[in-house]
Amino acid sequence: MSSGGLQLENISRRLGARSLLHEISLEVPAGECLALLGPSGCGKTTTLRVVAGLDPVSSGRIWLQGRDITRLDPGRRQVGMVFQSYALYPHLSVEGNLELGLEIRRVTAAERHRRISTILELLQLVELRHRRPAQLSGGQRQRVALARALLRQPDIVLLDEPMSNLDAQLRDNLRPELRRLLCGGRHPVLYVTHDQQEAMGIADRIAVMSNGFIQQLGTARDLYDQPVNRFVAEFLGRPAINLLLPQQGHQLGLRPEHIRSVNTGGLEAKLTGREWLGNQQLLNLETKRGQLKMLTSADWTPPTELRVSWDQGRELWFEEQSGERVK
Amino acid sequence: MNLRRPIIVAGLLLWSLLPLIWQLQTSFRTPDALVGGSLTSGWTLENYRTVLQGSPSFWRYMVNSALVGTATTGLTLSLAVPAAYGLRQQAATLKRGLLLLLVAAAVFPYVLLFLALLELARQLGWGNQLLALAIPYSGLSLPLAVLLLQAGIADLPNEIEDAARLEGLNLWQRLHRIVLPLLAPTLSSTAILVFLFSWNEYPIALTWISRSELLTLPTAMARIAGSSIYAVPYGAFAAATVLGSLPLLLLVLLFQRAIVSGLTQGAVKG
Repeated sequence: MSSGGLQLENISRRLGARSLLHEISLEVPAGECLALLGPSGCGKTTTLRVVAGLDPVSSGRIWLQGRDITRLDPGRRQVGMVFQSYALYPHLSVEGNLELGLEIRRVTAAERHRRISTILELLQLVELRHRRPAQLSGGQRQRVALARALLRQPDIVLLDEPMSNLDAQLRDNLRPELRRLLCGGRHPVLYVTHDQQEAMGIADRIAVMSNGFIQQLGTARDLYDQPVNRFVAEFLGRPAINLLLPQQGHQLGLRPEHIRSVNTGGLEAKLTGREWLGNQQLLNLETKRGQLKMLTSADWTPPTELRVSWDQGRELWFEEQSGERVK
Repeated sequence: MNLRRPIIVAGLLLWSLLPLIWQLQTSFRTPDALVGGSLTSGWTLENYRTVLQGSPSFWRYMVNSALVGTATTGLTLSLAVPAAYGLRQQAATLKRGLLLLLVAAAVFPYVLLFLALLELARQLGWGNQLLALAIPYSGLSLPLAVLLLQAGIADLPNEIEDAARLEGLNLWQRLHRIVLPLLAPTLSSTAILVFLFSWNEYPIALTWISRSELLTLPTAMARIAGSSIYAVPYGAFAAATVLGSLPLLLLVLLFQRAIVSGLTQGAVKG
């Protein structure tokens, strides 16, 4: 095994008869941020907990910075984690929250003070250091949780839906900030989210998961343009991909932005509805090959009867039964 | 201005405080004044003098009760906290079964046990051993204490402990640095209940203890009340009750401060 970064080798986790993780293998080099993306119950949080050591594995191996940590106690893994709920200690001040872990590790008082001051400054928490978690806003709590995770100079940083408790606008503002703080450092980052926009905005690569399997791992662009199966194609992209009625065991997928209206040829369509999106509009069309959603410019007034077409190069073909991409 | 609320509140206060006020004033009256004297005469401290200068002094019983109460509370909590903490880690079905068992034990009328307990005390030579009382008292308090504490522990978010595990806190450190501080409100209310039970308990104390210098408050008071069949010493008895409830009052006021609600607010979510 190469040193540096995180490697998962065929990680499985079973709970009774249920399989939560199925032969998960992935590699995250130091400095890279990998997002685990998927619907709830897909195994993304379990993967994170397994790396942290909070949940045991049934089989497989975990390597971190060249060390086999599969059976190592969570407290000895050098993992910094931001929990979905932030999990701050409510009875301690911001400073107390940061100090507890260092104190347990017998870091000297002078060193503790130095490290805490540095991290408080980095995350702009200096003024808040005597407050209790209850006296902080959601965004401030997130920063404290982040400070606690980064404080120990971890070998890896794990984040479990760190944005899910924040409002939409704050989320948009925090994305670049989070990326600046986390990515490109000496440690790899695993970022769990169910929000594709967040995954694309923060991560270098994305692993799409469902039912305990990694469906596909690659850059956002790869996943969007070259999905390996129907699940990935449907999960990524808003508005969602159009799936036409199956023909001879195959199903055609078309992204709404790839459909355009034509004067002759193409497919006959009837306009059944319009959704105004501000900078664009989404047309709902009824055709003999099924319903279609089409993204067009906002100032075009479509007729009720129209003809639509698309480039053949944009077609994504899936096998009807398995959902595997064939072309 | 709406007067209905203040009147209702005043009525409720009277309803609940009047017996206490009655008891308090009885403790300061001479026996003659109690039956048809006027309010301006017949006030005395004699009742308190009688009670406190008795042999042994009333203070002795207070100390006895306080010793038993403290030992009971300490023993109960030191067993109930690990038990409640352990319950959380159990599988759901086993946990449900254990909780049912605890509820059954908590509501069991313990008076049914006291003959058996007496027999035990005799076998073990625990009769007239003041602190030995703490053992049956703890045993009887444990089910309720574990139930209360496990409810408090169940309210603590799992992720807080996960975070502590990642930071390298071992089991003892997590219990000591995270769980117990967060449990302080539950812990103090449980402690009060246990102490109260021990402070008020009668049948076991009556049967286990016979030497007068080892009596606890309830049994000592019964002796004051039943010291003569011709005259019931109402005044002395009232004085004893007032003195006996003062420490409890003090304790509740003291613990009230520890029962800070909302301590866990902000631990989880925004």
